[in-house]
Amino acid sequence: MASARILAVDDSPTILAMLEEILVAAGYEVLTAEDGAQALESARAEMPDLILLDVMLPKLDGYRVCRLLKFDQKYKNIPVIMLTAKTEEQSMATGLRTGADQYLTKPVEPERLLEAVAAELGKAQG
Amino acid sequence: MSGHGSSLEKDLTSEQFVQFRDYIREHSGIHLEETRIDSLRISLVTRATRFGFDSLEQYFALLSADEGEFRELMNLVTINETSFFRFPAQFEALRTFVVPEILDARSSAVRSFRAWSAGCSTGEEPYTIAMSLLDAGIESLGHRAEVLGTDVSTHALERAKTGVYPPRALLNVPREVVTRYFEPTAAGHRVTEPVRQAVDFRYQNLIKEPSPTALMGNWDVIFCRNVTIYFRIESTRRVVENLFESLNPGGYLFIGHSETLTGITDRFETVEVGGVFLHRKPAPAPVTGVSLPETVDGHNSGRDVRAPREAGHPEQRPARLPRVLPAEQRRPVDVAMLLETAREASGDGRPHEVLEVTRELFALESENAEAHLLAARAYADNGDFDEAFASTQEALRIEPSRASARYMLGLIHLRSGRPEAAIAEFRRTVYADDDFALAHLNLGNLFRSRNDLRQACHAYESAVRALERSPDGPWSAFLGGFDPDLLLVTCRRTLDECRRLGGHG
Repeated sequence: MASARILAVDDSPTILAMLEEILVAAGYEVLTAEDGAQALESARAEMPDLILLDVMLPKLDGYRVCRLLKFDQKYKNIPVIMLTAKTEEQSMATGLRTGADQYLTKPVEPERLLEAVAAELGKAQG
Repeated sequence: MSGHGSSLEKDLTSEQFVQFRDYIREHSGIHLEETRIDSLRISLVTRATRFGFDSLEQYFALLSADEGEFRELMNLVTINETSFFRFPAQFEALRTFVVPEILDARSSAVRSFRAWSAGCSTGEEPYTIAMSLLDAGIESLGHRAEVLGTDVSTHALERAKTGVYPPRALLNVPREVVTRYFEPTAAGHRVTEPVRQAVDFRYQNLIKEPSPTALMGNWDVIFCRNVTIYFRIESTRRVVENLFESLNPGGYLFIGHSETLTGITDRFETVEVGGVFLHRKPAPAPVTGVSLPETVDGHNSGRDVRAPREAGHPEQRPARLPRVLPAEQRRPVDVAMLLETAREASGDGRPHEVLEVTRELFALESENAEAHLLAARAYADNGDFDEAFASTQEALRIEPSRASARYMLGLIHLRSGRPEAAIAEFRRTVYADDDFALAHLNLGNLFRSRNDLRQACHAYESAVRALERSPDGPWSAFLGGFDPDLLLVTCRRTLDECRRLGGHG
């Protein structure tokens, strides 16, 4: 799995750069998107192995991106990890209903992020 | 952000109208009359454009799959599209900059200031324009305000003429403005006589040609907000062309906050006034010796911002009225508590709560820069860059050198596709606080995207130095919870890359 392709989605270029930093250092190939519409487009065009998805996104929020992908036979098997600053249980529940495979609360430790990514990629590989 | 540039078909066929209308009625019980077709179309186009959809069918698919989107659409459908002082920064620019500039340059023979509100709906905009003109003191300078509101809806115009509005229409109006320009009646708040005197209404369809001759020419300012959302690109071009011809030389066109004329016309000069972009019809060199502002569309000499000026004769203008409640009505403990709650909600990523709490806070103390900034971030998180922009402007008006607010403004420009303005704001950010590492980093990225590797490397170096000097600061609120150490590693990597690209590796 050394060169799995991960689509990282966040509306802040700064945070994207930091996510990229973590993932590239761990040997992954990284695609990026800065808003929900771009994320959908990139997911559909590039078929990444995993998507790291922030909730708060312009145009289409992370929940909706996730729901739209998970409702589609073609893309529903791409693991989605929602990355969000939200802490309440309520949000957590909404997150899970969208069909996200994991839900990580910011601030997230880089190690924890990489563990979650590896776990989801492992599951997807069967 | 802007309506043009997308291939979205902006017409709503009657079949589509029925499809959306029925869906809305089924899911909300709200029945939209045929007369609402245009307002529904604008709401649909606004949402569909936000997602970059090519057709309203795509948007319908999303709408029917997603409850959240349905709520968003209903918010648009049910709000009053226009309100008094919608995007106050534009009226501030009109009052403090445009009016004085035009009157300064005017020959003494002309005694009226003419403003046209094209697409005025139920009249809030033309009345707001009239209030701003009166506030600019044009009467005491011997001029008369002549404001015309036009619309295609005769129903809307009938309501506009009454000048009576329900309480919710006045929600965003500062209390002192309500006191000065409205009088309570049994039917609601009525705009006062001097304001109504200044405003006239008439039916007009902007895309029907030829335009009535009475509308052609001699306008000092024209407000035509959302024109790029209303019409298809060819019609937009024609409409804007007509507006251009109708303006006096040196006159200004006000379009929506998030709209641009790029790709529509290049006949206007773009002028930035206190963060608001205005479009001026070029004027011959003034004979009065009054200097005109530099433009920001490539012909400037490095300076691209014009601070709002005070009116020509400040002593004759009404004094700026305070927006803060008298001290005895303020409850500082509650303000502090609300601010803390808003900070927490912001940190936890709950923008709706931030907006609720700050709204409460502003009722107690409107002059709170931090609260306006928190509201701005919440609006930006919701994708509402217009409101984010307006709130940031408020924060900066109260505290002009607040680096986080400058940074926020830079981010809004960046996300709205205005890299030049973003660079200017990020520069101001580091001018206010050289340790604001994220502003240096963004400057680096912007320079790199223009292939200016020398400046990019320089900015990245500044980012690294700032982080080494102060590993934490107000900017860390923008880090999404990541550790500043990671930012330092990221900045170093980016700097190395940049140096390699530039051959200094």
